[in-house]
Order: sequence, then C-alpha cells, then structure tokens
Amino acid sequence: MTVGRLVRTGLVGGIAVLFVAMTGLLAKVAEINLIGTQITGARVLLAIAPFVAAYVAVRPRVVAGRLEEASSSSAAMSGAVAGLAAGGLVAAALVFTDRYGIERVREIFIQVDPQLLEIVGFVQSVAVGALILAAGGALLGAAGGAFRTMRPPWRRPIGTAVGVTLLAGLLQRIIPISLVQLGIKADWLYSPATDGLTWLGAFLILVGSLGCSWLWARRGKAARDTVRTIVREQPSARIIVLIVASGVVATIPLLLGAVISEVLGTVMVFMLLGLGLNIVVGYAGLLDLGYVAFFGFGAYAMALLTGGTLNTTTGSAAPAFGMDLNFYVAIPIVMLLAAGVGLLIGAPVLRLRGDYLAIVTLGLGEMVSILISSTWLKPLVGGPQGMRNVTDAEIVGFSFRDPQHFFYLALVFVLLAVFVSWRLANSRIGRAWNAMREDEQVADAMGISTTRFKLLAFATGGAVGSVGGALFAVKIGSLTPQSFEIIVSITALAVVVLGGMGSIPGVVVGALVLIGLPGLLREFEEFRLLIYGAALVSIMILRPQGLVPNIRRSRELQEEDVSQDKWAEELAAETGVAAPIGPAGEGSG
Amino acid sequence: VANASTPGDDTTTVVRMSAFDRLPLRRMVLVGLSVAIAVFVIWGSWKTLDAKAYSGAAWREFVILGIAQGAILALIALGYTLVYGILRMINFAHGEVFMAGAFGSYFFSAAYTRSGFMDRHPIPALLILFLTAIVTSVTVAVLLERIAYRPLRNSPRLVPLITAIGASLFLQNTARGFFGTQTRGYAKPQILAGDWTILGISIARIQVVVFVVSVVAMIVLQVFVSRTKTGKSMRAVAEDQEIASLMGIDVDRIVVTTFAIGGVLAGVAGVLFALTFEQVNFFMGVRPGIAAFTAAVLGGIGSIGGAALGGFLLGLLQSIGPALLLTGIGVPSPFQLKDVVTFAVLVLVLIFRPGGLLGAGGAEKV
Repeated sequence: MTVGRLVRTGLVGGIAVLFVAMTGLLAKVAEINLIGTQITGARVLLAIAPFVAAYVAVRPRVVAGRLEEASSSSAAMSGAVAGLAAGGLVAAALVFTDRYGIERVREIFIQVDPQLLEIVGFVQSVAVGALILAAGGALLGAAGGAFRTMRPPWRRPIGTAVGVTLLAGLLQRIIPISLVQLGIKADWLYSPATDGLTWLGAFLILVGSLGCSWLWARRGKAARDTVRTIVREQPSARIIVLIVASGVVATIPLLLGAVISEVLGTVMVFMLLGLGLNIVVGYAGLLDLGYVAFFGFGAYAMALLTGGTLNTTTGSAAPAFGMDLNFYVAIPIVMLLAAGVGLLIGAPVLRLRGDYLAIVTLGLGEMVSILISSTWLKPLVGGPQGMRNVTDAEIVGFSFRDPQHFFYLALVFVLLAVFVSWRLANSRIGRAWNAMREDEQVADAMGISTTRFKLLAFATGGAVGSVGGALFAVKIGSLTPQSFEIIVSITALAVVVLGGMGSIPGVVVGALVLIGLPGLLREFEEFRLLIYGAALVSIMILRPQGLVPNIRRSRELQEEDVSQDKWAEELAAETGVAAPIGPAGEGSG
Repeated sequence: VANASTPGDDTTTVVRMSAFDRLPLRRMVLVGLSVAIAVFVIWGSWKTLDAKAYSGAAWREFVILGIAQGAILALIALGYTLVYGILRMINFAHGEVFMAGAFGSYFFSAAYTRSGFMDRHPIPALLILFLTAIVTSVTVAVLLERIAYRPLRNSPRLVPLITAIGASLFLQNTARGFFGTQTRGYAKPQILAGDWTILGISIARIQVVVFVVSVVAMIVLQVFVSRTKTGKSMRAVAEDQEIASLMGIDVDRIVVTTFAIGGVLAGVAGVLFALTFEQVNFFMGVRPGIAAFTAAVLGGIGSIGGAALGGFLLGLLQSIGPALLLTGIGVPSPFQLKDVVTFAVLVLVLIFRPGGLLGAGGAEKV
C-alpha cells in the first residue's frame, strides 16, 4: 500500500469538504443540530470525509492475482495517513484563507465568510482550528481504516446503528410530529430547544438499532422466510397484511400533519411523472428530455377545462378558450389530449435514436416552456402571470386542495398508474418495448412494428405525465410558467434513473428520496439541483441499474461486466468456497 | 404485401399488414409538412416585408448581429462536433465548459477594470482574459472527461448521455454555489466600444472582433486537425478507435486532447460572449449550449466545416427568422420566440436531413 495512493485518496476527501464548503452547503447544514448542540450537520460532514477516505483507501485490493488485505493495525496506520491528508488539506485551506485575507477570497467565492471559517475551525482561533482538523482527520482516518478491517458480523451492525442514529437526527421534522400525533410526549428523545436528538435519545437509538441489526444479521433471514411461507400459504394472512398496509397508508397524512403532507403531495406528483417517464425511458428505451411538455400540458389543459382564469394586473380575465367541466370529467379528456400530444411529438422523431431523440425532445420541451410564457399565447394561458382558479376536484363538497386531502386523490392516481405500468410491463406490449429497447433492428426483424410501439410509448407516457400535471394544477390552484421549466424533465429523469430504469418500486423510492428528502430538509432546498446532478453522475458510474433495479434491465446494463472475476465470484457464492481471486473478502471473515 | 401464397399451399402463413405499414404514410406526412413550412415561410416573410415593419438599416443590423452571434455559436458547436466525432456521444455539459471560461475570465476582467489596467493596456489585458478563460475551460473539460465520461467509455449509449446531463446540472449549480445567483456585469475596454466603419457600413467594434477572433480560431483548428500529427491521430481515432489503438495511437490521450481543444474553443467563445453581452451568470451556458448543438447538427455533426457553417447559419436564422416570419402575421414580441426557431430548425433538420447539410445526407442512421 503506497503512501502516495493513500495521500491521493485522502486529498480527494479533503477536496470534497472544500467543495461543500465553497458551495455554501456546509454553512447551511451547520444549522441542523443532529445530536445535542455538539453534533451538527456540518461537523458530521467534516468528520465523514477523512473517515470515508480512509475506509476506501484501505479496502482490500487484488495485487498480482492475490487478494491483499491489511491487518487491523496497519490499516489503522494507513487510514491515519489518508485521514491526515484529508484533514490537512482542509486545515491548509483554512490557514491560507485567513492569511491571504478572507475578503479577497470572498470576491470570487462568495460563500467564504467569517461564519464559514468559524464552522470549519470549530469556533477556535485559526491555528487551533487547523490543528483540530489535522489531528481529528488522522484519528478519524485511523478509525476508518480499522473499521474496514473489522469482521463483517461486527462491522455491519455498527455501521447500520450509526447510520440510523444520524438519520433519526436528520428526520427531526417528521419523527417528533408523528410521535406527538400518536400522543407520545417525545421531549426526552428530541429536544425542543435544539430540534435535534438529545444525547440520551441518540444513545438509546444507537443501542436499539445496534441490537436490532445484530439480531437481524443472526435471525433475519429465517424470520423473513417464515413470514413469507405464512403469507404464501394462508390466504387470510395475506388479507390481514393488505388491510394493515392500507390502514397504515391511509393514516399517513393524519399522522404526519399538513406540512409533511404538502411535501408528500409533491412527491406523489413526481411519482406520477416518474411512472410515465419510466414507460418511455425504462420500458421503451426512448430517452425523452422534454417530459415537462406533458406536465405543462396536463396542468394548463386542466386549468382551461375546469374554468381557470388568467391572472392580469387588474385582477383576472377569462382565457381565450375555456370550459367549466368537473375535474372527473376533465381528467380523461386531458389524458386523451396528452396522448395525442405524445403522438404529435413522437411522430417526427420516430426515426431518431438514442442521443438525437434526447436532444429533439429537449428542444420540444423547451418550446413548450417558452410558449407558455410568451406574449403570443398570453390570451390563452396568461403569459408570465399565469392562471388561477383551477378546480379543487371537490366531490360532494369535499375539497382536495388541502394537502392532507390531496394525498388521497394523488394516491388513487399513483396506484392506478402503478397498476397500469405493472400490467404493461409483462404484457405483449411491454415485451415488444423491451425487445425494441434492447435492439431496435432485431425487434423490427422479428415483426415488431417499431413505429407503432414507439408511438404507443410516447402516447402512454404522455397520458400518465399529464395526470401528474393535472394533479399539480389541482394541488396548487394557480399556475405560473416557472413551474414548467426544463428542470422538471431532468428531475423526472433523475427519479427514474435513481430508482432504476424500468423498475416501478424504483420510481417510488426515487421520488421519495429526490423530492421528499429535500422537501423535508429545507436546508437542502437550494442545493437540490446540485445534488441531483451529482446523483445522476454517480448512479450512472457506480450503479447504472439504480437503487431498486429491474432485474432484466440490470442484466442488460451489466453485460459488459461479466468477466472472469465475476464468474469466480459467483462460483464462490454458490459453493461457499472463497474464489482464488476477486474481492471476496466480504463473506470469508 | 405478403399474401402472395398459391392456393392450396397451406404451409404459407398469411402475414397481414395494416394499412398503416403499407402506405408510404411517412413520405406523405413529410411532403405535406414541407409544403406547409414553405407556405408558412413565404407567407410570413411576404406579410412582414409588405408591412415594411423594419427599415433597411434594421435588416442590416439583424444580419450583422446574426453573423457575430453565429461566430460564437460556431466556436461552441466545434466542441460538440469534435467530441461527437470521436466518442459518438453528445457532451451535454459543453455549455457549462463555455460558462466556466466566461466566469474564469470575469474575475480578471473585474480586477483590471477596477485598477484601470484594462483601458490603459487593452491588448495585453484581453490576451490575459482569453488565456484565463481557456485555462479554466480546458481544466473543466478535461476533469469532466476523466471523472465522468472515461469510466463509461463502453457502456450503452444512454448511460454516458444521462451522465452528461447530470454533469451539466452539477457544474451549473456548482457555479451557482461558488459565485452566487446574481448576474455580474462584464465590462469591455473602451477600445471596443463604439463603431468602426467598414466598406461604408458602420459596425459595432465588438462584433468585428468576435468575427475575426472566431474565424482565426477556426482556421487554426482546421490546420491543426489536418496537418499536425495529433490532428491526424484524432481523425484516425474518429474513424476507428480499435484500429487506431493497434496502430500505436494512445486513444485515451487523443480523447483528452479532443476535450481540451473543445475547451480552448469554448473558452474563447466564453470571453467573446461575455464581451458582447457584457454580463456573466451561472445559467449562461444552457441556451447557447443547446443552440450550438443545433448548429452542429445543422451542419452535419462530426464535421468541422459543418459546425462552422451551421453556427453562422443558425446565428442568422435566430436574428432574422423571428422578425421576418412572425412580425407580419401579428405575433407580438417575436424575439421571445428566438429559441423556438432554433428548436424548430433542429427538429426539421433531423426529420429531413439527419446527416446535416455537409453530412452524409441521411445515410448515417441516427
């Protein structure tokens, strides 16, 4: 293990810290108290860098065909070197900024202010802060190195427990509210003064999750199998599970309160967009970057059909075209029209494949956003001022504008879309899409009319996406062009990609992570796009099949990777004998 | 038309084809579409010219503006085309490389303007601006290739494209975080203010500079690619990566070089753009990036001459098109729809001539 490599890995960790500091993210998360007032989000970020750098630096490697695994003590030493490099870089930057003059640095990097230096320097003088950073980096690095060499039965529960505790601290806006709704007084767990966990609460959660994780590692598989057998063999058990699950889902908005229900509503709108885009991208393999066109179309069509009015400087005016339909009458019309728009967008680009298709759809999506804010279409859709008075989808006097009510309306449509996607996936149509995605020419030769199935994919995806738009219009009641920009297309794409292209649970997870988390943690709001960008790149490099992969799709994406090492790994997994090569250190212990 | 089976031959399956597949519907639609477009163009232009909405001087302004902007688009388009030629991927983040160059030079420009160096010694100051922009852009482009694209060299085509979109978003928002959301004024030296009279026409100095610098950069690029050893290696890699590597060409090095050259051109374009519009912001790479890509496609992606031609053509279309086509038929503020013209051109080129104007004319199936 060369020192050069260790230092390099450490420096990458240090650069990551400097990056989050200079973008302003570090200062933002410094406001989050995770545990007490001592463990803030910023300090966790500062600590994670050397730890992870060391953890990665000392991972077992294959050298000359042999697996080289460091002993605990040497790993700790190496980790300390990497951690020192990470911490040292940050310390050096701190000293440099102070010496060079913070004002001069700030002329370029506007986030570098005295407050940031305080955060990075632990509210000490610069020299002491730099010392803490370097020494702390070395210590954490040593810990990271040692942790890597720990045996998996110990390492996993510890890692899980620390992760769960930090997550519990991060979810300080959800957990206490739900506990209060359940009638549990939670002051001993979450301190009202700091918003975060109390030290006692953190300790209890740590111990609890450690125990659970340890038990799960020992008995989890057996327990899961037992439950599965019961559910499979006893129909009544299945019904009970179903009732319990729907009961839990039905009480979510009541449990979580209006603020979180509001976020959940947005999450579900994007779930619909993700499900629609998943049909186009995941099933049919057509990369559509103009999905915002359907979102915008659905929203504005719903507004126009249900009596929305234009915002003007003096009040409101009737649009050039408008109807006064009920939401439930309008929604099928919107879907049909959107399917038509899908055909219109799809038709000219049928012959294009891959990247060209992406750019053309991007252009078409941009055209829609430009048009809805243009002066030309102002009499129809209100231009920059937009529209208001969209229906609230009321049903016998029950309005769905309220976030807690909107949840149920959105849930119905999400379930419908999930059902449609699920049935489509394995239908004749879905198989045709798969074939087309994997090799268009072969599919064509096998008698699949690629023209027809491409159009069908655009139309179906468009219809589902327009429902997302229509519900969005119902949810917020008024529309402005700012909600319909290219970023919607990219967010929907990120949702699909993060979860795994072609995977329905993937879309659900993707929407919860990408829309839900930033919505709940308002500190992250302005860094959302930065995080999406980083997520798209890293998912594509590290795990192209996504978090919850579709099995067939992941096989296709990994085809290139099936090398001899892979084969050896699989053999080892099957026979339980460690393979001669490859990173099989995980299971052997 | 497959039911040509002889009677009594029961082994032949009758393949039914629907009317949709049998009719040359696509051709009919295309012919109809092109007729509709021609009618629209002629009608719109006629109405505008008939109404005498703009004076002759205004049209001349449009043309000059179009050429100047086209020159910048051409420089960016070359970056797309070079990378596409070699890796067959759309470097979606190229617009951000351009933005990085403009931002990199901004800080020097601001400092020089404040100290007065800019107006006292405009030529060295401008050279330093170009240099810093080039260095920044090249750094970003090379890092992009190394970190984001190289690990995905042999993945399915959608994977690098999605990565590129992610990288674009990431770079944009990095700039937003580092430098803030506000638009910053980018002062140009006194020497570039005002007009020059050339052949009896008075043209803004900055537009002359933009044109000259771009054309020089393009000529240098053309010479580099056709004459130098590296340029020849680039063409060899574009032709066939595997064979090129067998002939002793270091493909990785050539790919990096290509990204770096794209970065140089983007940096130059960044300074020219900033000097023309006298401002920079983190979002400035998006629309020019898409427009430049359109220009590359219009000229024939993968071809250097095509990118240059496409850039100038699109610049002209953007500056003349909305005024000429939309004013007469009563569309208010037609220049809001400038980018609609861009995208319409892109879609039409891809429908009618996917190979681009100088490309293989649709022979390459895209």
